[in-house]
Amino acid sequence: MKQDLIYFLPELIVSITVLFLFLLDCFIGKRSRRIFPVIAFIGIAAMMLANKSSSPLPSARFFSDMMVFDHVSVLFKYIFGLAGLIAIVIANGSHELEKVDKANYFTLLTALVLGMMLLANAHHFLMIYLSLEMVSLLSYILTGSLQGSRRSSEASLKYVIYGGVASGIMAYGISILYGLTGSMTLTGVAEFLRMNAVSKTALYTSVLMIMAGFGFKVASVPFHMWCPDVYEGAPTPFTAFLSVGPKAAGFAVLLRFFFGALSQTTTSGIEPIKIIGLPALLGGLSIATMTLGNLAALQQKSMKRLLAYSSIAHAGYMLLALVALNAEAVTGVIFYLSVYLLMNLGAFLVLIIVGDQLGSEDISVFQGLSKRGPFAALLSIVMTVFMFSLTGIPPMAGFIGKFYLFGSVIKSGHYTLAVIGMLNSVVSLYYYIRVVKIMYFDEPVDGRNLTTPMVSHASTVFALALLTIYLGLFWNGLANIVGQAKLF
Amino acid sequence: MFPYLSFMTFFPLAGALLIALTPKGKDNLVRWIALLTTLPLLVAAVKIFCLFDRSLSTMQFVEGPYPWISTFNIEYFMGIDGLSVSMILLTALVSTVAVLASWGIQKSVKSYFALLLLLFSGMFGVFSALDFFLFYVFWEVMLLPMYFLIGIWGGPRREYAAIKFFLYTLLGSVLMLLVMLSFYFYSEGHTFNLLLLADQAKQLGPFTSTAFRHACWLGLFICFAIKVPVFPFHTWLPDAHVEAPTAISVILAAVLLKMGVYGIMRICFPLFPDASIYFSGMIAALGMINIVYGALCAMAQKDFKKLIAYSSVSHMGFCLLGMSSMTAEGFNGTVLQMFNHGTITAMLFLLVGVVYDRAHHREINGFGGMATIMPRYSAITTFAFFAALGLPGLSGFVSEVLCFMGGFKNYPIYTIISVSGVVLTAAYMLWAFQRVFLGAVNEKYKDFDDINMREVVTLVPFMIIVLIAGVYPKIALDLFNSTMTALSHAMGTLPVAGL
Amino acid sequence: MILLSHYIVVSAILFSIGVIGVLCRRNALVIFMSVEIMLNAANLAFIAFAREHGGMEGQTIAFFVMALAAAEVAVGLGIIMAVFKKQGTIDLAKINFLKG
Repeated sequence: MKQDLIYFLPELIVSITVLFLFLLDCFIGKRSRRIFPVIAFIGIAAMMLANKSSSPLPSARFFSDMMVFDHVSVLFKYIFGLAGLIAIVIANGSHELEKVDKANYFTLLTALVLGMMLLANAHHFLMIYLSLEMVSLLSYILTGSLQGSRRSSEASLKYVIYGGVASGIMAYGISILYGLTGSMTLTGVAEFLRMNAVSKTALYTSVLMIMAGFGFKVASVPFHMWCPDVYEGAPTPFTAFLSVGPKAAGFAVLLRFFFGALSQTTTSGIEPIKIIGLPALLGGLSIATMTLGNLAALQQKSMKRLLAYSSIAHAGYMLLALVALNAEAVTGVIFYLSVYLLMNLGAFLVLIIVGDQLGSEDISVFQGLSKRGPFAALLSIVMTVFMFSLTGIPPMAGFIGKFYLFGSVIKSGHYTLAVIGMLNSVVSLYYYIRVVKIMYFDEPVDGRNLTTPMVSHASTVFALALLTIYLGLFWNGLANIVGQAKLF
Repeated sequence: MFPYLSFMTFFPLAGALLIALTPKGKDNLVRWIALLTTLPLLVAAVKIFCLFDRSLSTMQFVEGPYPWISTFNIEYFMGIDGLSVSMILLTALVSTVAVLASWGIQKSVKSYFALLLLLFSGMFGVFSALDFFLFYVFWEVMLLPMYFLIGIWGGPRREYAAIKFFLYTLLGSVLMLLVMLSFYFYSEGHTFNLLLLADQAKQLGPFTSTAFRHACWLGLFICFAIKVPVFPFHTWLPDAHVEAPTAISVILAAVLLKMGVYGIMRICFPLFPDASIYFSGMIAALGMINIVYGALCAMAQKDFKKLIAYSSVSHMGFCLLGMSSMTAEGFNGTVLQMFNHGTITAMLFLLVGVVYDRAHHREINGFGGMATIMPRYSAITTFAFFAALGLPGLSGFVSEVLCFMGGFKNYPIYTIISVSGVVLTAAYMLWAFQRVFLGAVNEKYKDFDDINMREVVTLVPFMIIVLIAGVYPKIALDLFNSTMTALSHAMGTLPVAGL
Repeated sequence: MILLSHYIVVSAILFSIGVIGVLCRRNALVIFMSVEIMLNAANLAFIAFAREHGGMEGQTIAFFVMALAAAEVAVGLGIIMAVFKKQGTIDLAKINFLKG
């Protein structure tokens, strides 16, 4: 048990932070609310340090097989921590969140990070279900945190309804899988499937149903419908977090589910179980997801909706790597999530800076941005970097992410899927570059200049842009870290 | 040894950064920085021209391979052989001229020259990279400045032209990325090193399946064909050319189009010898279509710049016809044609720019009698037009003849039809000349100034080169003859004569 | 004699009722109730399978699902209240402020 707590240290730190924040809320007056983001920031930063110190430990299962500790969970905790830290910086000082109770917002945000960490560790279906619900419930509340805003409450209603249905379907899927295999742990399921024959239809049904829950988290077709509405309605600082954090957590659990429960290790490496056609299922889902995301993004007027559909498309690219179900897929997805975190949070932060000052979230707010004074000119360059990175053009990090993903697909020999994925990324150029186009080629509608925002926002956005370029040129360091990723 | 290639690739980048740091409003300072950044490139190019060992067919001025991304065996590996050296020389010359030709740009001068220099970096990088990944990065890096240069400083339909250019090229490059990744995963020792991959290709390469080799070859070919541009992928070119500012048109025609042909000869041919031979009939047919179709389209144009854009399509067809032969002659013809087309078309676009700066339109029928108004201008134009239509004694003639000689051995019918393209070229060139320069003087333009000193300076180097390469082509051929001979040996001979 | 299959059939029927409710009804509250039915169908299946496999795991998870369902309802009702205050309806067909 004592040994188990060492593995659990990062989670423990965040749990204590959350509890402390809850207690603080009871004892502290309305005046000193500014302390909440600071404590949340410190808590998550401490988690990352603890995570670093625990990373040399060998893989293990703890809390009676409820959770697993391995290098993948360590990497995901870094991603969640970074997303959490940046989300705190973004939310702190945003105009949109001025009226929101800071104590609630930052406490729940920290708790959300905890939920994601638990999800990435989960090894038992109970744990998966609980932590998935934890992430979901907190996301519903945070989406609706703009009290008195019609958009915000409507978004959270849609979110909670889609989420409730998805979790209901997933629970039923888990029950079928439990009935089939008699095991509730991922490796237990895999072991049973290796030894025994099971009904193909039942297994397929249960996998499809469980995918409903995971697909809802990563916003893959057909459980993507909530995504544009929720992204548009939620306060933008939270949308930014939503687009990277819970999505990454969803992919963490997807990786665990497919690699833990539904694949087997053979002499040539990991490969999917043969009973059901997993590559066909995932390939179809991925193609549908990315194509729908990209085509729908072409027609958007709101920048938040555009980024929502773009995030659906990116989920599709990552699902494509899962089709391969090889070791490259794990590193590919984790690498992609890390660079996606940088570039997507960056794009949202630019939107927040511009939107706060010019009072709109439509794409048209970017019209002639490069001509709105010196800071705006710099910000346009930064936004251009993010847009090209999201498209996947070198020398931006997004390209390296695509390089990893498509590499794993090519290695597994799914050339048709790779070609379709590539064509999709050409389509995506059209809407990303539209933002660049109106920033540079159009004239601003009015003479307002952009003033320099608060230091934390400005420095974060520039740091994200520099990192995006740096990782596009010198990604050996990140490649080495991610390359060690080993599941279980 | 001095790292010439890295210098040429990254010095413009340094210049671009310097320009980005200059204070606002110092436009002339920016222009001079740009010029002073390109002049050393020209010096380095001359130095390379002198030092280049013409007897070797292997890589020279090699830098590396230095590990860059060791996890993926990606290396920083630069080097040039006869094929690249001619392109490097052309690029250095065109870069300098492009800066001079951009002197008149008034709109956000700073960004313009910074992007222009960034573009130069990409161009030199593409021609000297010997690592597939490095090549790809430079190939794509070039797209970004080009998009902005057309989109911000272009003509009325610039946004459409810029996005079309970008989408077409990106479509091609994702195909290249797929093939590149396949090479990495299937090659022995997982490498991106183009020389090692070419070595492996001699024993049928990493891909055992013929169908797969053919698919990969087609993917790469489409990528490069879009850039050449080969019919039916050529539709971005007239738009981009017409909308781009003069200097950008010059770069586009003189250097960027060459990257397509360069890519085919640097990557498609050595990495897939058997597939290249299998598809050589298709290349020849496409070359023929390019030549004839481009010429016919050019004849129908009313816009001076569009006419030259289509003439580029036609002239690049000769390169395809030449390379389809897989012989040293044909290859020599292709490379020489690339070089000649680069110089001649650069001249033509500069000349259109001269008249456009004065009249602000390019309607061929809107002029008339310019010969009497601008005598010096029309003299230079006459020279350029004759070079373009392949007058013996000027450079275009030599390379066209070589291409035909190469093509005729294996594809006599395609070649004979292609020869009609020469007649068509003469027809549209002379017809355009007649409409613009001869006939009644257009009263509106009576008091036009003749071509000025800066414009002449941009044109004279090209005229000298065209003349020398026309009279004494050996000086150019020597540069790449041994490389091309080696390449044709590596390719083997065509098994059967086609059409 | 009541066999495992009886439990499974009942749970499948319950689940189907839930799904149909979600698909056909437009009232947010009714949809919530349908989700509850789906979760209870899962619970029934869990317990039936737990008896079949003879372990405690299935029974434990049923308790957790119940607790989570309650939590979800608590959050969901709060959100429904907020929407009702703002828009005066909980008919999903009429709540369409957000669309692209």
